[in-house]
Amino acid sequence: MRRTLHYDAVVVGAGVAGLTAAARLAESGARVCVLAKGVGSTHLAPGTVDVLGYEPDGSEPPRRVDSPARALPAFVAERTDHPYALLGVDSIRPALEWFAERIEHGPQQGYRYLGEMERNHLLPTAVGAARPSALVPETMAAGDLRGTGPICVVGLHPLRDLWASLCAANIVRLGVEARAVEVGLDVDRPDENALGLARRFEDPGFRRTFADRLAPQLRDDERVALPAVLGVRDPHGVWSELETWLGRPVFEIPTVPPSVPGMRVSDALRAALRAAGGRLVVGAEVGGAERDGERVTALQAHTAGRDTTYAARWVVLATGGFNSGALALGSDWVVRETVLGLPVRGAPAPGARRFVPEYFGEQPMSRVGVAVDPNQRAEGLENVIVAGAALPGAEPWREGSGEGIAITSGHRAAELVRAEEGLGAAV
Amino acid sequence: MAGLSTDVLVIGGGATGAGVAWDAALRGLHVVLADRADLGEGTSGRFHGLLHSGGRYVVKDPLAAEECIAENRILRRIAADCIEDTGGLFVTTPSDDPAYAERFAEGCRATGVDCEEVEPAEVLREEPRLHPGISRAFRVPDANIDAWKTAWALARGAHERSGARVLPYHAAEAIHRRGDQVVGARLRDVRTGDELEVEARVTVNATGAWAGRIAGLAGIEGVRVLPGRGIMIAMNHRLVNTVVNRCQMPTDGDILVPIRTVCVMGTTDVHTDDPDDQTVAEDEVQAMLEDGERLVPGFRRARALRVWTGVRPLFQDTKEGVASTRDVTRAHTLLDHAERDGVGGFVTITGGKLTTFRLMAEETVDAVCRHLGEERPCTTATEPLPGSEDGEHYMLGERLARREDGLLDDQLVCECELVTRRKLEEAMRRRGTSNLDDFRRVLRLGMGPCQGGFCMYRAAGIMHGLDGMSAEQANAALLGFLVERWKGVWPILYGDQLRQARLDDWIFQGVLDVGHLRE
Ligand SMILES: Cc1cc2nc3c(=O)[nH]c(=O)nc-3n(C[C@H](O)[C@H](O)[C@H](O)COP(=O)(O)OP(=O)(O)OC[C@H]3O[C@@H](n4cnc5c(N)ncnc54)[C@H](O)[C@@H]3O)c2cc1C
Ligand SMILES: Cc1cc2nc3c(=O)[nH]c(=O)nc-3n(C[C@H](O)[C@H](O)[C@H](O)COP(=O)(O)OP(=O)(O)OC[C@H]3O[C@@H](n4cnc5c(N)ncnc54)[C@H](O)[C@@H]3O)c2cc1C
Repeated sequence: MRRTLHYDAVVVGAGVAGLTAAARLAESGARVCVLAKGVGSTHLAPGTVDVLGYEPDGSEPPRRVDSPARALPAFVAERTDHPYALLGVDSIRPALEWFAERIEHGPQQGYRYLGEMERNHLLPTAVGAARPSALVPETMAAGDLRGTGPICVVGLHPLRDLWASLCAANIVRLGVEARAVEVGLDVDRPDENALGLARRFEDPGFRRTFADRLAPQLRDDERVALPAVLGVRDPHGVWSELETWLGRPVFEIPTVPPSVPGMRVSDALRAALRAAGGRLVVGAEVGGAERDGERVTALQAHTAGRDTTYAARWVVLATGGFNSGALALGSDWVVRETVLGLPVRGAPAPGARRFVPEYFGEQPMSRVGVAVDPNQRAEGLENVIVAGAALPGAEPWREGSGEGIAITSGHRAAELVRAEEGLGAAV
Repeated sequence: MAGLSTDVLVIGGGATGAGVAWDAALRGLHVVLADRADLGEGTSGRFHGLLHSGGRYVVKDPLAAEECIAENRILRRIAADCIEDTGGLFVTTPSDDPAYAERFAEGCRATGVDCEEVEPAEVLREEPRLHPGISRAFRVPDANIDAWKTAWALARGAHERSGARVLPYHAAEAIHRRGDQVVGARLRDVRTGDELEVEARVTVNATGAWAGRIAGLAGIEGVRVLPGRGIMIAMNHRLVNTVVNRCQMPTDGDILVPIRTVCVMGTTDVHTDDPDDQTVAEDEVQAMLEDGERLVPGFRRARALRVWTGVRPLFQDTKEGVASTRDVTRAHTLLDHAERDGVGGFVTITGGKLTTFRLMAEETVDAVCRHLGEERPCTTATEPLPGSEDGEHYMLGERLARREDGLLDDQLVCECELVTRRKLEEAMRRRGTSNLDDFRRVLRLGMGPCQGGFCMYRAAGIMHGLDGMSAEQANAALLGFLVERWKGVWPILYGDQLRQARLDDWIFQGVLDVGHLRE
């Protein structure tokens, strides 16, 4: 049996782009439902908001950007097909501010993001490379490699996704004093991933024992680097308590997935959506639409056991790119948009190179996305607005621009709908 | 300059060269085995994975078929641990000439290849993914064989039996002659640049497709090996559990081999002038996928993990100028340069198949003994390799069973291939190399569906933690692995494997930002 539900807007995708668009729309009074096949890249990505970290300008490796605010005007002037050119540089700042506020007023008491578009932080990665990022969780900020004090990277035995000795050795190569120590944890199994450890760190007894073991190994002026496992529900509490106990700056380094800081982002945005009366259905795969001329009138979603029709005046398509399955390249080398069968843009012509043999080179297949007009509308459709990694024109893992594009385009998608619907300003 | 002195210097550490080292060691000779790369990094590690029953050759090349079945029986005994007894099938698909089946059955009878006709319905019950339109099917004793494991077992055995020196990453740069006698060679450690002089009573050129070059270094002309390039595509799981051959005259893309956690489709045959040519041509990829569809409908929808190229060492009868290499003889060639060119102390062995490496080694070491003027009988047909003493074949579930036993003892580094930390650390200490690809070959680290996405950072971290490895070395190992992996990935990147690759890009270039370790 097929049910039909009615909404002002249905957002497809529960990554940063979809949740941003949905929460923002709900806050302006729209009746919103998010349909998502699964959680977004949030659960894998480091949780930092990278606006522009590198300028792929032909140099290898690409040149680092110190100030996104300063670099962006020239960047978009040169790349007119880049999402930032489409969105407009001016739309980034309000979107980031909106995002930072949602985290600050979110369910994780006291947890904040720090930073601005004027200056990138420079944070060590798990391998000890320096990664630029505009907005970062407070729990990571003390890791800035331009900050003062030597770094002590702490390895946690059951975690395989951050290797302290290699991380520290590479930080040293960057000209920052660093060393590694290992701390044993009372964990009853040989492997534990970041999420499992984060849950344990939420237990005050567990983290007290940890701090007691670590404290005697630390030297006077050292900052402490830990894998990003300092709690999912109360990261501010866990982190600030460790700083107090250890009497020094403590910071997290993002691990190989799963990503705890990313889950915090997901939780905060979902809470914002819920607080504004929006709905979220995870486990709903959208696979087709009903159309009336150039409008989509309803989406078909498949959930366990039944198909449901979601009628909507607006659709925000925030389904991601290849990695979320929203785009697929066939063995016939044709790229398809898998959710609604929309036209794509930016794919290499048939017979042209799809990829280059240099792993770190610019890959021609990277910039594909759903074809859109300047208002992010999917080509040929009046009421389908595209946001996030589904947009064409970026190579975000080389640029360090993934979350910046996701937040800005999600936010702007909501603004576009709001303007068209004459909805009120967001609260 | 460092120097070594030995009875036999074997240049080339593929199955053949390692087999020569093992054979010579069992006969009590002192051996040095050198390869310019890791053992099995030439054609032996880039082959299809098939321990031939001989079925493929029963009509076209009966002599080759006889050799294969004889060696197949021997290797099942002496290299049991390197072989998985999958069995093999020859099936007549709707794309094949139905008349070939009779000639095939007749050929099997004539050459002694065990063969039993089975009902297509029975075959389809066993292998439900096979083309439902198959009209005839024959069972043969094909199997799969792990070339890297075999090469290392041979080398280890040679070391254990007579202290053979095994020198991967040592390229032969010059072959020394004293008058009409080859007296050794100059090797270079390609990792450090160090030179090593090896003085040898006999030098064996077992460099496969590169044999012409090495013979040239010894001043011997006219050894022409005509490289025939072929691609293979590994799919992310075992679409079949039995080796499946199309029952037709041997041609391109007619065999699907299940091996370890994957199955491998192959292959093509394109003439090339350069044995180092690793081109993966677009049309060959499409041809393989088409051929895959003929055997297993829906093949294109499965995940293609990796593609690689091997070059057949086909010794050419110089009188003929054949364009297609498929028709050049596949049987091996032993050149005793004393007889052929009047140059003593030098033997070339090339051509053949992986399946016949033992036979090739036997004939080679017989020739070596003639050069030495010594009578030493060959025992490789009965002597099991290290690890194969109990005669038990490799089983696919082996690692899982071991893992289940020690679930709480050890960390898992590579989830796809179930490689534990202890195993990896042991191998790292033993090999003393910082090339992560070396561990990929011996442990299958990073060979599964995620192609190292999760385990390679871990492996680099673990390696750095071991005795005194520098960050630069660990970084180079990680970056080297990624660059090497990409070569085998990008030509076949589509479907779900592209999804996976994109996740890997995000991990390495986003989360870890390894690209900027290059600064
Ligand atoms: C491992 C990893 C590391 C990353 N590291 C960084 C980084 O360092 N810096 C950075 O800026 N960015 C990083 N990112 C990228 C960043 O997370 C994404 O670019 C960005 O979040 C895009 O978000 P999105 O909302 O557009 O898409 P996604 O987060 O991919 O979300 C897509 C959503 O669409 C849903 N969906 C797809 N198809 C359907 C369907 N048919 N029906 C219903 N739902 C569907 C999915 O289930 C999912 O919920 C990383 C990403 C990954 C995976
Ligand atoms: C596409 C393809 C598929 C095949 N499939 C099968 C199959 O399924 N079953 C089967 O039985 N056979 C198969 N074969 C044939 C089989 O792989 C080869 O015959 C066999 O591996 C040859 O082994 P080899 O040791 O003689 O040569 P190789 O393995 O090539 O060894 C030669 C070695 O010499 C080294 N070398 C080169 N130059 C130097 C130097 N200057 N100094 C030191 N070392 C040097 C190389 O690095 C190399 O490791 C296949 C061949 C191809 C091309």
